[in-house]
Amino acid sequence: MKVALRYLWAYAAFGLGLGTFYYVLTEEWVGSIALWFLGVMPLIVALWWTRHGPSAAVRASDDPGADPAASAGTSLGSFPTATAWPVFLVLGVFVTGASLVYGLLLLPVGAVMLVWAIVGLARESRG
Amino acid sequence: MSTGTRTPVVAADRPRAGPVAWLTTTDHKKIGVLYCVTAFAYFLIGGALAGAMRAELADTGNQLVGPQSYNTLFTVHGIIMIFLFVAPFGVGLANYLVPLQIGAPDMAFPRLNAMSYWFFAGGGVLVLLSSFATDAGGVATGWYLYPPLSGPRYSPGVGPDLLILGLALVAISTLMSGVNVITTTFLMRAPGMTMWRLPIFTWNVVVTAILGLVAFPPAVAAFVLLLFDRRLGGHAFDPLGGGDPIVYQHLFWFLGHPEVYILILPFFGVITEIIPVFSRKRLFGYTGFVLATLAIGALSTGVWAHHMFTTGVVDNPFFSAMTFTIAVPTGVKFFNWIGTMWGGKITFRVPMLFAVGFLLNFLIGGVTGVMLASAPLDFQLSDSYFLVSHFHYTMMGGSVFGIFAAIYFWWPKAFGYRLSERLGRGVFALMFVGFNMTFWPQFVVGLRGMPRRIVDYAPGLGWETPNLVSSLGVVVLSAGVLVFLLDALTSRRRRTPAGDDPWGGSSLEWATSSPPPEHNFTSLPRIRSDRPAYDLHHRAEAGEAGRPRSEETA
Repeated sequence: MKVALRYLWAYAAFGLGLGTFYYVLTEEWVGSIALWFLGVMPLIVALWWTRHGPSAAVRASDDPGADPAASAGTSLGSFPTATAWPVFLVLGVFVTGASLVYGLLLLPVGAVMLVWAIVGLARESRG
Repeated sequence: MSTGTRTPVVAADRPRAGPVAWLTTTDHKKIGVLYCVTAFAYFLIGGALAGAMRAELADTGNQLVGPQSYNTLFTVHGIIMIFLFVAPFGVGLANYLVPLQIGAPDMAFPRLNAMSYWFFAGGGVLVLLSSFATDAGGVATGWYLYPPLSGPRYSPGVGPDLLILGLALVAISTLMSGVNVITTTFLMRAPGMTMWRLPIFTWNVVVTAILGLVAFPPAVAAFVLLLFDRRLGGHAFDPLGGGDPIVYQHLFWFLGHPEVYILILPFFGVITEIIPVFSRKRLFGYTGFVLATLAIGALSTGVWAHHMFTTGVVDNPFFSAMTFTIAVPTGVKFFNWIGTMWGGKITFRVPMLFAVGFLLNFLIGGVTGVMLASAPLDFQLSDSYFLVSHFHYTMMGGSVFGIFAAIYFWWPKAFGYRLSERLGRGVFALMFVGFNMTFWPQFVVGLRGMPRRIVDYAPGLGWETPNLVSSLGVVVLSAGVLVFLLDALTSRRRRTPAGDDPWGGSSLEWATSSPPPEHNFTSLPRIRSDRPAYDLHHRAEAGEAGRPRSEETA
């Protein structure tokens, strides 16, 4: 976990540093902002991870000497069965997007499909 | 071997077979296969469009298509190959392999995984619709949709709108799969599978996923703003309304150049898995290789404006220097690959042939890329066939050869039976010869001044012969792809058993059955090095603790 966290910190430093260097060199805003955001995004994740994430605990996956038998019985949570909701969700997005192109008459149809799929997905994931 | 397993996931009632099982699956292996098959279908469509272009250019004069249709052909060909074939094929491989390589039972978010596949497939349909199913003709703006050409004034049909929506769906799909790959790798590794024991393929797709997360949002923002300009009267990129088309170029290339690495990094990973196996050596310089991958991931986000040298509004020395710099970690990887093969007992099975083909082609693509990184030279060669050839040497000679290497390498793991070695050698020979016949003459004709994206050319400029050879090359290349399809279809009938570890592989997927069970592993081996399957199959040699990297020899 430490490796992943270090990677995020390094990436954040790279983006912020390069963005600042680029701005000093060029005073060009679009590229500078893009590079700063490049640094800010991993920074947000790294900060959250440092404060709340599981980085403090030593996980079996980070222990070079860990034995798989030691983690036998560890629950990984439940994984879903088959689901058709993603297909309906994409159809909803498809029709909603098409309404921008072919006319707003399609919008209610797309919106209904979208809401239906989102509700279906949410209910299914709650089991 | 320790035989501990983590608690099986709750998915016993997943439908096992049949079309419904495939269409509603949340199993990472099936989603991976769906991704790869769909992407390959798009490859065939994109390849057919390329064939039509080369048929048109084989001789002077208009043979097949008019100028506007030709514009649609190269636009849609580029979009399909980049966004619907190479990148999704990498995602498909990542889906299939990452949980197997790290000892996880599935991806972290299986439902999100299914969703990402359907967003990709749906986006692809919209892209195809944008090319053919529009009354005002297909989208014909070039794959990067530059305004003002893609704006409402010069492209009034619905083609660009459908393309923008399709690309937005594909981008959302990439973001979803990126989140899934990163979470799975960071949080679901098996005991003992530390980050510094991750297989190189997994490292590469993690960096690719992070690149996707940082690079796609600006491009999606640009696409949405362009849609506002086109449909809702916006002026984000319209100079007459106070907008700036150069901002679009910035936002687009902030995706566009990292996208090149999104396309190639997974296949760097693929050949890095293959070369040590067929050299009978461990990877030379694992740590250096990982650091080079991380460096490429970071540097690739700082080179976007080398695509904008000729606009005159970017700092050319800065982007030139950054682009030269990125050649360094890429060179490190070449030394890793050569060092791995050096002194090894190399066997040229089909995956290794494609891996070596990748090296040769990508080297040419890389070196010509360094040439184009020089701003003065880029001013001469920008928008010429030299650029087309350079790009295809990296993307097709690199990524597509990597894709075929991956198919031949992991096919036995995925399906439990082999592809034909004899036909595979034929596929490689036809593809390698055909590829170089197609694209090497394009360097020549580019240096002779032929611009890209032209439907016809005048005789007597020295362009006829290279163009004819290039078009004949496509025939040879296509023959290779057809032989592969024949091999894939007939291998199903032959069903030559592969065994669980047909190549003597070293990463964890070779420690489970072929094809793997529903939850990937009935038991996990003890992981004591970056080669757990090798350690498992050579226990006496490896010792109980596994062999630390420093003690490995040829």
